[in-house]
Amino acid sequence: MSSNQCVNWQGNLACLQQEGLVIKSRHTIDGIHVFGPDSDYTTLAISGLSLLSDECDIDSISVDENIDQFVLQACGYLIDENSVWSIQCSVDNACLSISRSHELDWDIEGEEMESEFHDSISKAWAEEMTAVSQGAFVSEQAYRSGASSRINFSSQQLGDIRIWPPREMIGDQRPEEAPPLSQGGVVESWTKLSAGGAPSEFSLRAPILEGIGTVFVRLDDGPCGVFLVADDNDGEIAIGSRVSFAVRKIYAQDGLIRYGLKALL
Amino acid sequence: MVDVAVVGAGQTKFGNHPLGLKGMWAESTENAFASIDGDFDPSMVDEAFIGSIAFGGGQIGNTAALLTEHTGMDNIPVRRVENACASSGFAFRDAWMAIKSGQADIVVAGGIEKMNDLSPERKRFWLGVSGDTEWERLAGLTFPGTYALMARRHFHEFGSVHDDLVNISVKNHMHGLDNEYAHIRKDVSFDKAQNGFMVADPLTLYDCCPTSDGASTVVLAADHVAKKLSDDPVWVLGSGAGSDHLALHDRPSITQLIATQRAATNAYNQAGLSANDIDLAEVHDCFTIAELMATEDLGFANRGEGGIFAREGRGIRNQGQVTINASGGLKSKGHPLGATGTGQVVEVFKQLRGEVESNRQVRDASHALTHNVGGSGATCAVHIFGRELK
Repeated sequence: MSSNQCVNWQGNLACLQQEGLVIKSRHTIDGIHVFGPDSDYTTLAISGLSLLSDECDIDSISVDENIDQFVLQACGYLIDENSVWSIQCSVDNACLSISRSHELDWDIEGEEMESEFHDSISKAWAEEMTAVSQGAFVSEQAYRSGASSRINFSSQQLGDIRIWPPREMIGDQRPEEAPPLSQGGVVESWTKLSAGGAPSEFSLRAPILEGIGTVFVRLDDGPCGVFLVADDNDGEIAIGSRVSFAVRKIYAQDGLIRYGLKALL
Repeated sequence: MVDVAVVGAGQTKFGNHPLGLKGMWAESTENAFASIDGDFDPSMVDEAFIGSIAFGGGQIGNTAALLTEHTGMDNIPVRRVENACASSGFAFRDAWMAIKSGQADIVVAGGIEKMNDLSPERKRFWLGVSGDTEWERLAGLTFPGTYALMARRHFHEFGSVHDDLVNISVKNHMHGLDNEYAHIRKDVSFDKAQNGFMVADPLTLYDCCPTSDGASTVVLAADHVAKKLSDDPVWVLGSGAGSDHLALHDRPSITQLIATQRAATNAYNQAGLSANDIDLAEVHDCFTIAELMATEDLGFANRGEGGIFAREGRGIRNQGQVTINASGGLKSKGHPLGATGTGQVVEVFKQLRGEVESNRQVRDASHALTHNVGGSGATCAVHIFGRELK
């Protein structure tokens, strides 16, 4: 593994080291790293693992209680407390290390975030966790059954055609499972919804974020999809722009955070 | 096979209605029954189909039984029909088929929605229930967002521009200004519509229909009964319907509605007519881009030229070959989801019989079309009407 390669990765700051990787939120308040508006330890962990997986094979990993194990499993990682790889979350920083030995550390400056914004968005997430749906409900069962497609682009194949999101039958045939799609595509259309135009699941956070961005993307492997734009995306959205994806928090309801792929430009 | 006519049609005013479901349905049904020229009694109705999403969840189960009970149509087969915003377009088609099949002679089709007695929070939940919940809603989309994606793509592919949508908004508000049943009766200037509050970029408030309360009722009859009940029946010359993928990402194109094209082709073929024969069309302009695409999908404009059609004012009342949304459309008349489809039929019934306000009358109209879309185009019903049988 290469050592001390530091990169901006999926909106985060990551440093590959001899024994693993350290990944931090790029947002700071008074020098302390804090989570972005749709990030947490789980999104940092998936981001870090996707970078580290380019360097070495990680089949299993042990995690602590800060990580949503289901989401990691949906990305294809086996959770095993005896694994040589472990994720260690920092207690007082939006930072974690993924390593084969001890907890790793790395000092780097981030971008200052307004503390008022951070407090508002954190409070909204906490409030959202207790929200109850009144219609158009994505149940926990529905969320979990579609998670590997939503989080990891798991796809299907019928003849030469790649299919995503998954379908039951096409004509009289059932498509077969296929490897995950590559995580890139081109914007075919986009919109930014005002707070009032956003679904009620986003009604607490949309005003704080001044609306939410959505893109209609033609994926490199063929299928199309609609995706939220990551809340801290800095890139300009335009038809023809290339996008990549990262797992972020989508919304919370009934005590469960729904995660999914969001677009980065 | 038996021919079918509309012999009566009525509605409530669309908008913030002071009455609840039972009261609104009674009002629209009374109006429909009163419009029947001959001797009629509610007990003559054989069957009823009532379109509704049951917005807000106030009365989801057995809606139709509750409503017909309060309008003198006791003990007959009734049901609620649900196909999102196309619910009563499909209720009308079901009523037409019931008569066509020979199982009924007089059938009521109608629609109803109560939308404005909910808290803003609850309303937002319900406004998204007809889209693809698992993938589109989880990507933050409600219908303003869905249609905004279509609009921006149409701009990109065909060179249409937001000002084309502004023209549609201004036209429909102008048409609805004198419609006593319209929700929003105000003249909207081009400048005002051009600079509205952004709801879902590029769609502003003036590109979006309002959320309305309302009910509409239509009475259909078999030909041998229609001639006794009506001095001037309006004949149903064609009924077409279609469906498409619910989610945008599964469609081959997001700048056309295949369901509309299929429904229109079926209806035109059945009527033996083409778009050139239509004098007025009530089209489903839940958003201005929806009207722009509908003018193409229904054949009034070539593919990609809906923007030019709007720019040239070709849908303005009595100024072009066809008048689009003489009622004001969903944009001005309002959009009480389940009531919209049969509300369109109420307008063409009155227009073809020369019964609307004189300054709203489409001159010399002999053929009319209604176009009712469910959600972002997953379902569509198109009907063609004429003053004379073929």
